[in-house]
Amino acid sequence: MTFSLKTHSSWPQDSVSRLTFPIIAGIRIALSLANVTKSLRSNPLLSSPLDSFLNLQEGVYLFKHAEDPYSGGSFHHSPLFLSIFTTLLPSSQYSPLIWAFCDIAGALALVSIWRARQNTSTSSWGDLITIAYILNPYVILPSLAMSTSSLENMLILITLKFASQGRQPPTLLFLAFLVQVSLSYLLLILPIFVLVNMGPSSQLAKPHGSTVPIRPIASMFGKFLVYSLCLTFASTIIANGWSWTSQTWGASLLLPDLTPNPGLWWYFFTEMFDHFRPFFLMVFSVHLLIYVFPVFLKFRYDPLYASFILIGILGIFKPYPTLASPGLFISMIVIFPEIYAYLRHPVVTVLLYLHASLLMPLFHGLWLQQGTGNANFFYASTLVFACANGAALIDCIWAGLRLAIGPDSEEYVIIQE
Amino acid sequence: MERRLLLFLSCFCVFTSASFLNEQFDEKLAIRPLPDGRVAATFVFTTILKDVHPRDPRTLQFNDESQHYTLFPLSLGQILREYAVSEMHLTLNAGNWNYDRWGYPDEPGVANGAELWAWMGVNQKSMEDEQWRGLRNALAGLFCATLGSLDDQRTTSPILSFQPHDSLPSFPSQNQSTSASSSSSFHALRHASLPSEHVCTENLTPFLKLLPCKSRSGLASLLNPHKLFDADWHGMGVHVSWISDEGVKLRLTFQTIMDPLRITQSNKRSWSLENLFGKGISQRCPVAHTSQIVVSLPRGDMYAIRPEPPRIHEGAAIYDLNQASINNLRQTSPLPLSIDRTLKGTNQANGYLSLVLTNRLPNDSLKILYLEAMPWYLQLYLHTLQSEVSPIDTSLSSDTQKEAKNDLFKLINYIPSIQHSRPTMLQALLTLPPNCTVTFKMHVVKSFLRYTEYPPDAQRGWDLPPGVLTLLDDVDGKGNKIEIGAKTNRIFYTRPLLVDLATPDFSMPYNVIIFTCSVIAFLFGSVFNLLTRPFVVVRVGKEKKEGDKEKQE
Repeated sequence: MTFSLKTHSSWPQDSVSRLTFPIIAGIRIALSLANVTKSLRSNPLLSSPLDSFLNLQEGVYLFKHAEDPYSGGSFHHSPLFLSIFTTLLPSSQYSPLIWAFCDIAGALALVSIWRARQNTSTSSWGDLITIAYILNPYVILPSLAMSTSSLENMLILITLKFASQGRQPPTLLFLAFLVQVSLSYLLLILPIFVLVNMGPSSQLAKPHGSTVPIRPIASMFGKFLVYSLCLTFASTIIANGWSWTSQTWGASLLLPDLTPNPGLWWYFFTEMFDHFRPFFLMVFSVHLLIYVFPVFLKFRYDPLYASFILIGILGIFKPYPTLASPGLFISMIVIFPEIYAYLRHPVVTVLLYLHASLLMPLFHGLWLQQGTGNANFFYASTLVFACANGAALIDCIWAGLRLAIGPDSEEYVIIQE
Repeated sequence: MERRLLLFLSCFCVFTSASFLNEQFDEKLAIRPLPDGRVAATFVFTTILKDVHPRDPRTLQFNDESQHYTLFPLSLGQILREYAVSEMHLTLNAGNWNYDRWGYPDEPGVANGAELWAWMGVNQKSMEDEQWRGLRNALAGLFCATLGSLDDQRTTSPILSFQPHDSLPSFPSQNQSTSASSSSSFHALRHASLPSEHVCTENLTPFLKLLPCKSRSGLASLLNPHKLFDADWHGMGVHVSWISDEGVKLRLTFQTIMDPLRITQSNKRSWSLENLFGKGISQRCPVAHTSQIVVSLPRGDMYAIRPEPPRIHEGAAIYDLNQASINNLRQTSPLPLSIDRTLKGTNQANGYLSLVLTNRLPNDSLKILYLEAMPWYLQLYLHTLQSEVSPIDTSLSSDTQKEAKNDLFKLINYIPSIQHSRPTMLQALLTLPPNCTVTFKMHVVKSFLRYTEYPPDAQRGWDLPPGVLTLLDDVDGKGNKIEIGAKTNRIFYTRPLLVDLATPDFSMPYNVIIFTCSVIAFLFGSVFNLLTRPFVVVRVGKEKKEGDKEKQE
C-alpha cells in the first residue's frame, strides 16, 4: 500500500528548473508570433465551428457594423467572448499572444493544482507539468490556430485551481463563465463543488466512504445559479435579445453545422435518416449526463480525480470537440503520478494515439484538399482517435480503482467479480 | 332558329369588339447585328389591359370577381389575381450573356437559369410567404418549369436592387369595418433564382399559348423551337407591371443570340429571317395593334438589305406590318463596365470568392449596387473582404495597386444565412475609380450537408445564382446623390458558379450508425464495467484456492 514517486525524486535539481519555465514560456510566445499560425486557423481539426477564430472575427465584424451576429447561423460564440473581443482585446497582429498567455496561465494553474494535491510548495515536478501542458501537440496546435477551445481549457484549469485551493467565490465565477461559454461543462459542477469542500489531496490509495456534505453543496449550487443568471443577463444585454441562446447552447444540442471534426457526432448526423435525427440528438446529449453520478459516486473520496475522468469523457463525446479537449485530459494525467504503476496498457494507448494522429490529418487532406480520398477514411481515423481516448480513459479508471489494493504480488491476482 | 343564331353572333361580335377596346396587343422584333458576327433577335409581345388595377390584397379572403379577357391570357390573369401580384418578372435563360462582346441586352433579365421576382400586395404579414409559394407553384405549372424549387433556401427580399419597374398601386383605406386590417396592407418583394434550370421546348409551348395568335401568324410564327434552342444564347421572359394611367401591362419576351456563320456554313455575315428562324412570316396577326420589325443597320460597313426598308430611323430599318410607331432604339456601344465573378481555391472546405470589375470610363467613377443572394452552403466571411485597385493599363507600374477598402465597399444590408434554411443576402455599394480594375476578394467556407440534402447527382456540384450589379444613376459623376432603383438603372448579372461540395458516402448510413454506436457502446460498457463491478483479490498460491476471497470496495 505504499505510494512512491520514483520519477518525481529523480527529476533534475533546482538550478535547471529555475530556467525551464521561462524557456518553455519563451518558446510558446515565439511560436505564437511565427507566421505559420494563419494556415492553421481554418483547419477544422483544430477549431470547430463553435470555437474557430474566423467565426469569432466575423461575429465581431457584424457586431461592430450594427448587425445582429446571432440572427444568422454561423456565429456560435458566447456573447461574453463577443464583448471581450470587441472591446478589451480587439483583433490585431498581436492577438496570438493572448492565446500564448492563456496557455501559460493554464500551465501555471495546473502546477497550482498539483501543489495543492501534494500539499507542497516546492516541487521540480512542476516543470514537467508545464512541459506536458504547453508542449502537448494536442494543446499547442489548437492554441496556435486560435481556437477558443484553448481558452475553455484555461478556464477549466483555473476553476479547478481555485476549487483545489478551497476558494469558493472565484471557483463559482469561473465555473459559471465556463458553462456560459460551453454548455457541456455542466457535467463538471458536481465534482467541483465537492472538491471545494473536501480538498484535492490524493485519496485514491486509501478510499473511504466519506459522506458528501450536502448542505454546503446546496448553498454553492444556489450561488452558482446566481452567478450564472447574472452572466446570462449580461449576455442578453450584450446580444440585445435572447437569440444568442439558440445559437450558442442550442448549437451544441442540435448540431446545425456538420463540418468534420475529430469527434463522433458529425458523420453520424450527416448520415442519419431525417426522421431519427431528433431522437439520436436527444440520445447523444443525454448519454453524456449518464456518466456524472456513477463516476462521482465511485470517486467521491477524490473529487479531483472524478473531474479528471469526466473531462476525459467530455473529450470523447462532446458535440464539437477539437484536439484541445482530449489534449487537456492527456496533459492532466501528469498530475496523477500515483496511477502510473497500475496502468494496464499504456503502450497500446500511445500507439493508438500515434496511429490516429498520423491518420487524421492525412485522410482529412486526402478527402478535402486532394479530393482523392473519401469521407469514410477520415471517419475511420476519428473512430481510431475515439478508441485511443477511450483506452486512455478506461486505463485511468482502472488504475485509479486498482491503486487501492496495493502493489502486485505473485500470489494474488485482481479480478472483478 | 337561324335568326336566333344570328342574334347570338351579333351579340358576340358586339361583346368582343367592346372588350377589344380595353385591350391592346403590340408585337415587335428587334434584330441587331453584333460586332462579333452574331445576330441578336428580341421578340417583344406587349398586351395592355387598360384601366385595370391589380387585385387589392384585402379582398383576398373573398371570392374574386369573374374575369373575361380577349387578348390577355386568362391562365396568367387568374394567377396574378389569385396571389395579388402587382408586378412580376420571370425569366428563363440558357447560357451566359457576354456583356463584353454583345453589349447591354435589350431585355435586361439575362440571369442564367430561372429568375423570378414579384411585388405582391399583402394584407397580413403571415400571408406573404403563402402567396409567394402559391405564385411560384402556379407559374411552375403554367410554364412547365421547376420553379417549385425556388423555396425558402433561395428566397430573399433585396428591395434596393429590384425596385418595381412601373408603379405599385396604393390601396386607399376604406372607412369600413375592415379599416384596422387595411392599414396593414403593403407590398412585399420576393426574389429567387435557380441557375441550374434550363429553358427548353416544354417552356416555349406554354409561352406561345399565352399569345393571342399563338404561333400561327404574326411575328410569333418565327418562334421555331428547332432554331431558337440551337442558338448560342436564348431566353424567355414574362414581365407584368402596372402603369398608373394605363393599366396592367404584360410583356412576353424572347431573346436569342444566333450565329449566321454557323447556321449558313458560309463565311459571310449575311442572314435572312428564313435562315435564322427556318420560317418566314406568311400572315400578320389580325388582332395586333402594331407589329413591326426593327433591324439595326451596321455603321460604316457596306451592307445590303432587302426588301428596301420603308423607313430608316437612327440607323435602323423599320418594317411595319401594320402602321408605324417608332420607339427609341438603343445603340450598341462598348459598355463602360465589365464584370467577372469566380470562386477560387482548390480546397473542398474553403476558398475565395472574387469579383473583378473594370471601369473603362476615362474620368468618371461608377457607383454600383452589388447584390449577392448566396445559398447557405457557401458561407461568406465579410471581415476578410479585401479590395485591390489596379489601372487597366498593365504596362503601368504595379506599385500603386492598393487602396483603402472602406472607400470602395460600403455595406448597405447584410442578412447572414441560417444552415439548412435561409440564404445569405448581401447588398453593398461599390465604387469603381475611373480607368481601373477593382478586385474584391472574400474568404468563403463550403458547408457540409446532411446526406439527404444532396441531389441525386451530387458530384456534379451546386449551382450558385448569379450576382446582380445595378449601375446607379450618377454615372456622370455629378453630385453625390445616390438614386437607387430609378427605372433607367441598368442591371448586370455575373456568370453563375458551380461549387463542388464534399460529399459523404451515400451508401454508408447503416454502417456509420452501426460503427459509431458500437464504439460508444464499447466505451460505455467498459467504463460501467469498471465502475460497477467490485474488485476482488484471488489467491493463486499453491495452497487452497477457495475461501480466500477478500472483498475490496
